[in-house]
Amino acid sequence: MKRYILLIIGLAMTAIYLFPLYWMYLTALKSSTEIFQYPPTFWPADTQWNFLEVWKSRGMGRYIWNSLLIAVGVTILATTLGTGCAYVLSRVRNVWIEIALFAILMMQVLPSSLMVTPIFVMFNQIGLLASPRIAVILAQTAKVLPLYIVLCRATFVQVPRELEEAALVDGSSRIGAFFHIMLPLARNGILVTSVLIFLQSFGEYVYARSLIAKNELQTATVGLQTFMGPNANDWNGIMTYAAIYVTPILIVFMLLQRRIVSGLTAGALK
Amino acid sequence: MLQIEIDHLNKHYGGFHALKDINISIKQGSFVALVGPSGCGKSTLLRTLAGLEKTSSGDVRIAGQSVIGKPPRERDVAMVFQSYALYPHMDVEHNMNYSMRLRRRPKEEIAERTRTAAETLGLGNLLDRLPKALSGGQRQRVAMGRAIVRNPKVFLFDEPLSNLDAALRVHMRGEIRKLHERLNATSVYVTHDQVEAMTMADHVVVMRAGVVEQQGSPLDLYDRPANRFVAGFIGSPAMNFLPAAAASNGALVLDNDGTQQIGLNRGMTHGRQLWIGMRPEHLSLKPCVNDMAIDATVTGIESTGSMTFVVLEVASQPVVLAHGGRPETRKGDQVRLHISLDDLHLFDRETELAA
Repeated sequence: MKRYILLIIGLAMTAIYLFPLYWMYLTALKSSTEIFQYPPTFWPADTQWNFLEVWKSRGMGRYIWNSLLIAVGVTILATTLGTGCAYVLSRVRNVWIEIALFAILMMQVLPSSLMVTPIFVMFNQIGLLASPRIAVILAQTAKVLPLYIVLCRATFVQVPRELEEAALVDGSSRIGAFFHIMLPLARNGILVTSVLIFLQSFGEYVYARSLIAKNELQTATVGLQTFMGPNANDWNGIMTYAAIYVTPILIVFMLLQRRIVSGLTAGALK
Repeated sequence: MLQIEIDHLNKHYGGFHALKDINISIKQGSFVALVGPSGCGKSTLLRTLAGLEKTSSGDVRIAGQSVIGKPPRERDVAMVFQSYALYPHMDVEHNMNYSMRLRRRPKEEIAERTRTAAETLGLGNLLDRLPKALSGGQRQRVAMGRAIVRNPKVFLFDEPLSNLDAALRVHMRGEIRKLHERLNATSVYVTHDQVEAMTMADHVVVMRAGVVEQQGSPLDLYDRPANRFVAGFIGSPAMNFLPAAAASNGALVLDNDGTQQIGLNRGMTHGRQLWIGMRPEHLSLKPCVNDMAIDATVTGIESTGSMTFVVLEVASQPVVLAHGGRPETRKGDQVRLHISLDDLHLFDRETELAA
């Protein structure tokens, strides 16, 4: 009996969480009169297929390409810089490391909207705004790097130190032990964390909005804004755009779902 | 020929003095056990030999060459870890030949030596298994295999049997010893189990709190313990200690008991405080040659079948007697406890050294 109650509660919660997503797809398929109809319909009466039209008229290909470029750039940069850092933080134990970890966690607290002004001023002074997408990559990397380091360090901490020592005694150098033993064993954690920061960067808004001036270099999140006018009510177009943008992310998430969940809870048992 | 020389070795961790002036010489081909309670520094000493710990002062020489400051890979030592430390993402074969692949040995040599080692250890049909698909005993053997394929100057064992069940542990003890003899290797073996140390090693080093308390052959340590700690640590069940003092006539008087005297004249100065040490297996309920006897009360009997441990009380101190077979005595009995004077150990109560 208790099992069924829990199941019902779980289903209800899931429904609440997924409702906006459902509403997005639903609105994307409704006609504009049906969208404002009261009481609302929960299944489109007259299904609209505007995807291709919205894709073309809004130039979504370019926006998504920019988003992708920035997300890939951030992921590559953050994994290259962050993995070594996370490894060191997992292996060395002293007061300075504690302070460094604390500082890294503190950086997580600072929101993009707070950081964007000093970053804008600094990038402007050193001329980085001439290549705005690189500027966004750098700013966004700085933002996600703490999260990457903290999550990645957790996976390195789980790899027993003795494995590394065994490799050293077997004749490996420290760097060799890192590449042969530590990296393969932390692979899942690194992969999951990379996917998380990739998805985060794919949906980045504040830096792209502030640092990129030219429309043809803008990302998809900012592109969504082009619907916004003084009397914007093209909800169907907005939701169609959103559906096109979100669906690939959802598919990636679902494909990697098992790994992501196991990666986030790894360490509970060996 | 000396294979390992540890010379006035000291190790500090911050303010903690982990190893204090360690001196040990290890002959080529010998099997040395480092034994002591946990936290005594035995594992630290082993890790120092492997190059996994830095030293503070003193010298360590392997095959005549000082290895101070050298990384593990330049020492030509192999180590078997307590947790086995098998690489989880490599199968048995790759676990075993990782060291040779690092040294870029020819493919045929790698294959040949891996096969030989696997056969020696009975792992021939497990080569393509991952460590997680092996039993505890098999993992232990893979860890051994990883060490023997390399044919190193020195084998280091860090409590390799402590994760095995009792029966397998006894079996592997013999296997390791046999392997050691077949390879004519030099082995250093860390254990907290004195039985393991006594049965396997040619030379036992007893450590406590970073200090070598005594070293020598197993029987040497058993027969002539240098101090009370070694006497209590070596031997199972542990040696009994009774507090006593030397009387004016040189005989010993047990504390809490003015009446019982032990006619043992070793020229002790009057009033010297001592511990009398008696091994449970040397005590007897029947008279023997050149013996002394004390009155005791039986307070408990523990039988293992082949052996019976009789727990007694002498001058309000517990004493254990190990009796082969089954003694005809019961709880509450008043008995006379006999021991040959040659088997008595005396320790100074202040310095704890053998008197």
